[in-house]
Amino acid sequence: MKRDEIPPGTLSLLILKALSLHGPLHGYEMVNFIQQSSEDVLQVEEGSLYPALQRMLLKGWVTAEWGVTAGNRRARYYKLTAAGRKQLALELSQFQRVFGAIHRITQIA
Amino acid sequence: MFLDESLRRIRMLLQGRHFQEELEEEMRLHREMRQQEYVARGETPEAAQRSANRRFGNPTNLREKSYRNWGWSWLESLMQDLRFGIRSMLRSPALTIVALLSLALGIGANTAIFSFIDTLMLRSLPVKDPSQLMFFGREGDSGITDDIASTTLYSYPFFREMQKRNNVFSDVAALMSMVNGVHGIIEGQDAMQPMRVQLVSGSYFPTLGVQAIQGRILTEADDNTEGDHPVVVVSYAWWKRALASDPAVLNRKLTLGTTTFDIVGVVPPEFFGTSVGEAPDMWAPMSMIRFVPPLWDGYKKNFWEGMYLIGRLKPGVSQEQATSNVNVLYQQIIRSFPDVDLSARNAGYLKRAHVDLTSMSKGLSSLRRRFSDPLRVLMGITSLVLLIACANIANLLLARSTARARELAVRQALGAGRLRIVRQLLTESLVLALTGGLLGIGLARIADRLLLRMISGGPDLVPLDVSINTHLLLFTFAVTVTTAILFGIIPAFRSTRLELTEALKDGRGSSSKGSSRSRLGKVLIVSQIALSLVLMVGAVLFIRTLVDLNNVDTGFNREGVLRLDIDSNVTGLKSEDPRMIAMFQEIEQRVSALPGVKAASFASFLFSQGSWNTSIRVVGQNLNDQVNVKHNVVGNAYIATMQIPLLAGRTFGPQDTATSHKVGIISERMAKDLFPAGVNPLGLHYYAGYTGTDPKPNEEIEVIGVVKDVKFGSLQERPQYIDYLPNPQHPWGYGTLGVRYTGDFDAVSRGVQLAIHSVNPRLPISHLGTLDEQVSRTLTYHRIVAQLSAFFGLLAVFLSCIGIYGLMSYMVGKRTNEIGIRIAIGASRASVRWLVLREIALLTAIGIAIGVPVTMASSRIVAAMLSGLHGADAASILASVVALLAVALLAGYLPARRAARVDPVVALRYE
Repeated sequence: MKRDEIPPGTLSLLILKALSLHGPLHGYEMVNFIQQSSEDVLQVEEGSLYPALQRMLLKGWVTAEWGVTAGNRRARYYKLTAAGRKQLALELSQFQRVFGAIHRITQIA
Repeated sequence: MFLDESLRRIRMLLQGRHFQEELEEEMRLHREMRQQEYVARGETPEAAQRSANRRFGNPTNLREKSYRNWGWSWLESLMQDLRFGIRSMLRSPALTIVALLSLALGIGANTAIFSFIDTLMLRSLPVKDPSQLMFFGREGDSGITDDIASTTLYSYPFFREMQKRNNVFSDVAALMSMVNGVHGIIEGQDAMQPMRVQLVSGSYFPTLGVQAIQGRILTEADDNTEGDHPVVVVSYAWWKRALASDPAVLNRKLTLGTTTFDIVGVVPPEFFGTSVGEAPDMWAPMSMIRFVPPLWDGYKKNFWEGMYLIGRLKPGVSQEQATSNVNVLYQQIIRSFPDVDLSARNAGYLKRAHVDLTSMSKGLSSLRRRFSDPLRVLMGITSLVLLIACANIANLLLARSTARARELAVRQALGAGRLRIVRQLLTESLVLALTGGLLGIGLARIADRLLLRMISGGPDLVPLDVSINTHLLLFTFAVTVTTAILFGIIPAFRSTRLELTEALKDGRGSSSKGSSRSRLGKVLIVSQIALSLVLMVGAVLFIRTLVDLNNVDTGFNREGVLRLDIDSNVTGLKSEDPRMIAMFQEIEQRVSALPGVKAASFASFLFSQGSWNTSIRVVGQNLNDQVNVKHNVVGNAYIATMQIPLLAGRTFGPQDTATSHKVGIISERMAKDLFPAGVNPLGLHYYAGYTGTDPKPNEEIEVIGVVKDVKFGSLQERPQYIDYLPNPQHPWGYGTLGVRYTGDFDAVSRGVQLAIHSVNPRLPISHLGTLDEQVSRTLTYHRIVAQLSAFFGLLAVFLSCIGIYGLMSYMVGKRTNEIGIRIAIGASRASVRWLVLREIALLTAIGIAIGVPVTMASSRIVAAMLSGLHGADAASILASVVALLAVALLAGYLPARRAARVDPVVALRYE
């Protein structure tokens, strides 16, 4: 099946959304969640998640904590902060505004 | 928000290694889980790992990207460059040591001189809004005058009128133009100690906006009635020193003269008064002027003018408005005094008088006036030295970049951008410069203390703050970075511009590119030599000036005279009191009777101690008020003590008493110019001072002797009009005693002190020394300039020699095989040596040719700044040229000898 690259700039929105739905996740879980929820349409270059996460850590949208996976391995879990929640709302409304506008234009017969 | 972010950034930086490890582990886990997933789907472990890695992307890249997101990558690459720079510095220790040493000396000298320029000429007074403060007149005179039209010194009643009637100042303050040097006693202690008291009007502290840190400041309430406000405010330094920072300072008292004063406050540590370099110990209200020794009586006298005036401009008032208001009032106030003498002469003076308001923001300073020009000259000298040091280091780096050519070529071939390499090389220069700058600051600390001692010219240090401050650090940092750029940028660009294939080929090669590099080196050497010549000629001139001044004929014999000061004010007697006059004579007699003492006499002025001058009128002639005669009130044996040749007549004796007719001894020049030509001045009479229309016959002075001219105020001055008057007839509460002695100074000094205390045990004795020291102290600034310029001149020549040596060694190394061939085909060793030396001689000659006109021009500028300085003459220049040529050839001799010793077989086999 052909997978599409995610539009630039939306990766952090997807991560924030994933975290807000599922609570703390580690990187691998996030990628899987994004791919599965998009019914395998969206493809993330998996590694690019990590620079994005570092940026979000710096901005204070997420915090990271080491925990243990179901398979009993040490993994770093990311958790949404209050600032992250605010950022999610902001990015969502931005996305909807832009996407809605594009949608309206493309619907003009 | 931003703050949180910065905090997280910094925390991340501190945990750098930990950060990398965590990221690494996290990414590894991710790939392994993906791999497991693929294996579970039935792929082989190898294939699973490959596809997991492919899906993940380039981990190194991602790690770097993650790291960059924290915004520290610039620091990372800077640290890399720095580490590399330090390593390459350590790799050539000789070069590094030479470079660091010359930088440290250059930067240290600049910092030290600048710290004096900063404290004397740049820093504002530590008071509220110093830019609003205006000084009445131009600083220069201090003392007391009765000149009706003085525009610098004012009387207290004048100050009060000005304060009341002006409408341009928010307040006006007065302060005595001199600090009263008093001996006082702290209550509860026995010993008298010197105290420096500044008399100020009550408005002084409020005008400046200075608050007390303990107790209170002086206010108008302390200055409203004369004589009943015995209070002082003390300086922080004095509180610390004399009272050991006693917290109960406000309960302490001290006695000045016969009056006990309460200490009512302490001012902040940074406040030193309004004169830079003069820090009084305490401030007393002007209302107490008659009770602080020397007990002046000037509170109510309209023409007793001894005060400086300061005003604080009202907001929005310009200097011009203030000046015109002040000058209108000046005329009105002086003319309104009932005792004003508006004779035609005075009216003329008054009409021409104009008060210039000058900025007071940096405070007053006689030190500033004396040392501004020398400091500027020294700053120029030290910057030239630093420039030479820069040229030197540039040359050394240039030579080293040849050695590194292959390294740089390899890096460029591997794809390093030229700018990246230039940045690397500049960082190396910066490392070098910063290290040199740090060493320089350390050196400047030592140099500052040395300079302060030199400027003080005596045992007591001038209270000047030359400690390290942000001003200074900024200056040093700017200088350091500038030097790094100066010496780093040319080698950096030069060494990155190369043809790769040439440089990568081994061997010394005979390629042409080497010559352009050594041409640059030669240009640097030539300019070093030119600058060195300027500095050397300067040093020679300064030293010759100093020697000449030291050899000036003073007219008196400066050797073999002990001098000391006593404070006769502690007796509480007026100077005209017969007991006071008798005390001085008693001391003179007892001291002269000591073994080893030939003569002893008090004098109001020994040498360069100020003056008391007035016009004179010779009886039978008209008053010539254009000339000023300096009066020196002395004891009977003064002429003998100083060994001033007596040309005619007699000196003073016991017959010249307070009641006998007045007599005087005049100087040769005074006799020649001011007395009728062709007439023997002995027996003629004159009046000292303006006597008005009705001179009293008993003030006539009869000339009883003529003596040779002497230097009075400075060694540079022309012959002065001087007369000597006996103390009983013109009582002077003087304190300076001169003793002509032979034998051991210490023994005589002990005897003299005992003799003084046998007359009055309470008399404080200070400033014990020799007349010779006192005279040579007046040459302080010439000596500083001469010593420092000699030091820097030598340093410059030394640096240039290192430069010549380095360049020549480099060129000999480059030409080894050429020299080998020359020797192989029969050139003599001598001719090879000459080959190298000729090059040096040529470079030096060019440098000198450029340097001579520069020297002439700059010596003219400097001569205008420093009085009494010789212009650059042929002898000084010739001496410098010869010396420079000699040391240049000496520096080149070693490389030349090495060239001459080249073994042709070795040299040619090397190829």
